[in-house]
Amino acid sequence: MTAVHTTDAAVPTNNSSAPRRAAPGGAPRRRGSTFDRLLPYLLLAPALVAILWLIGWPVLSVLVTSFRKLNLRELTRGEVVWTGLDNYTEILGDPAFWVIAVRTVVFTALVVLVSVLAGLLIALLMRQISTGVRIVLQVAMLLAWAMPLLAATTVYQWIFDQQYGILNKTLVKVGFDSFAGYSWFSTGTSTLAVTGLLIVWQAIPFLAFSLYAGAIGIPKDQYEAAGIDGASTWQTFRAVTWPELKPLLLMVTFLSMLWDFKVFTQIWAMRKGGPDGGSTTLPVYQYLEGISKSHFGVAAAVSVVMVALLALLTVQYLRRLVRSQEGEL
Amino acid sequence: MKTKKVSANVVALVVALFFAFPTYWMVATALKPRKDLLSSGYDLVPFSVTGSNFATAWAKPGFLTALGNSLLVSLGAVLAAIVVGLLAALALSRMRFKGRKGFVMMMLVAQMAPFEALLIPMFLMMRDLDLLDRLPALALIYFAVTLPFCAWTLRGFVNGIPLELEEAAMVDGCGRWGAFRRVTLPLLGPGLVATSVFAFVTAWNEFLFALSLINDQAKQTLPVWLSGFQSAFGTDWGGAMAASALFTLPVLVFFLIVQRKMVTGVTAGAVKG
Repeated sequence: MTAVHTTDAAVPTNNSSAPRRAAPGGAPRRRGSTFDRLLPYLLLAPALVAILWLIGWPVLSVLVTSFRKLNLRELTRGEVVWTGLDNYTEILGDPAFWVIAVRTVVFTALVVLVSVLAGLLIALLMRQISTGVRIVLQVAMLLAWAMPLLAATTVYQWIFDQQYGILNKTLVKVGFDSFAGYSWFSTGTSTLAVTGLLIVWQAIPFLAFSLYAGAIGIPKDQYEAAGIDGASTWQTFRAVTWPELKPLLLMVTFLSMLWDFKVFTQIWAMRKGGPDGGSTTLPVYQYLEGISKSHFGVAAAVSVVMVALLALLTVQYLRRLVRSQEGEL
Repeated sequence: MKTKKVSANVVALVVALFFAFPTYWMVATALKPRKDLLSSGYDLVPFSVTGSNFATAWAKPGFLTALGNSLLVSLGAVLAAIVVGLLAALALSRMRFKGRKGFVMMMLVAQMAPFEALLIPMFLMMRDLDLLDRLPALALIYFAVTLPFCAWTLRGFVNGIPLELEEAAMVDGCGRWGAFRRVTLPLLGPGLVATSVFAFVTAWNEFLFALSLINDQAKQTLPVWLSGFQSAFGTDWGGAMAASALFTLPVLVFFLIVQRKMVTGVTAGAVKG
């Protein structure tokens, strides 16, 4: 998903330099026939129907389902049993849920922190290096970015393999003999650390590319001015780079939080949330409750908690996005 | 100053190695003979090279079916999303009408929809439609996932085409449809390609719904098939890496095709801040 999402922020503003005339509303003003007046609505109708049906309705439905008792029994019999807030009291009263919720938040925070910071450092590094090296770096990052999630997860499992993995072999070779046959997946924390590394590895390219693009957009004369004033590297960063990059940095941080909080694929494919549920996060928990155990009502309550948290972040993100594009919508 | 640049270059090359290594290791492993893989020897570069892992992966039961399913579902969903998205994009970009701003906002919000958290209602909905265990369920969901993105992105590309060109064609006697077909559509080509590639990659990668809605092995998509590789391959890491490489190949080719577009897209977006 990452690959596509990445352009959410990027491509929409693709046309910021487009001629003003082509902006919306610039169409020839022909107060024409009824057909002409209806045409935009006709063109939008299929998209509208699809969005209301396949996005709008599920959003309502998840809320409604979270107030129902809906296990396999009720589902097969087609019974509608309302339980009020029971599903919520069940999950919120379950200490295991809180362990998973806290784990998810901490995991998301760490992954976002590391990937955004690394993305920023690489973006700044890219300005300092020769063109040839930069192309090599960009191609390398493109390879990481393009690899399908499942392929990447499989490769990481192989690299971290207990017996024949190249990592353990290398560690032994350079003298850390204790890593012979070391299992990276024996605890939840260690499993999540490997999964986190995988996510960070695939997340950095987008972040670095975006921030690099933002960084080269900063006017050169500002740096020249800083140079004349005798500013040190750190001072230049504080006074010039940071304020210019901050809005963009905030945007990509919000996007990263939204994406990383929802991660299911890599965690599930790595060890199915194990060992012993030690790497289970909220999306995995939702899947286990809902699909594996057929506790649809309880799982829907988990989903609603997730949606609520994501909605908070999304509102923040969209407010910034709309503000940054004012006049172009 | 000079040493500073040299050390920056060295750091950059180390970073590049970090990003490229897994891809290299995937290919290198896929090319190694089986006996070299399960040995304690240390070989960063294959001693000898074989194509047998690819043959194994290709011949594994389910691989070709899964590949076909993935292609079918992804291409079907993307085609539909591009057509429906383009219609919406044209209205949002080229026409003025009541409620336009509302539709633009809807598209923007729909793009942020947390599909992963809609697993339960989607499952129940597909069950009601009697689509569980059937590929159209996935095609429908992937269509919904990619549609807002397609509409939004294509709107950006249409905005980038000067309206004067269309007007000129209309002055020269083209109808509205003719002007669109002869002027706008050809100019939109690269945008259409880039947008479909991104949408395709999303569908190609999707795992949660493919895992939840499909039980029948004959209907599995490639990600789900690959996730079960430990049962399919055992400790045959060569075969698993070959399958991963085959899975990666189409995406890599597409990425290289639109690579320029992608980077300029990111650039243009970022300058605004």
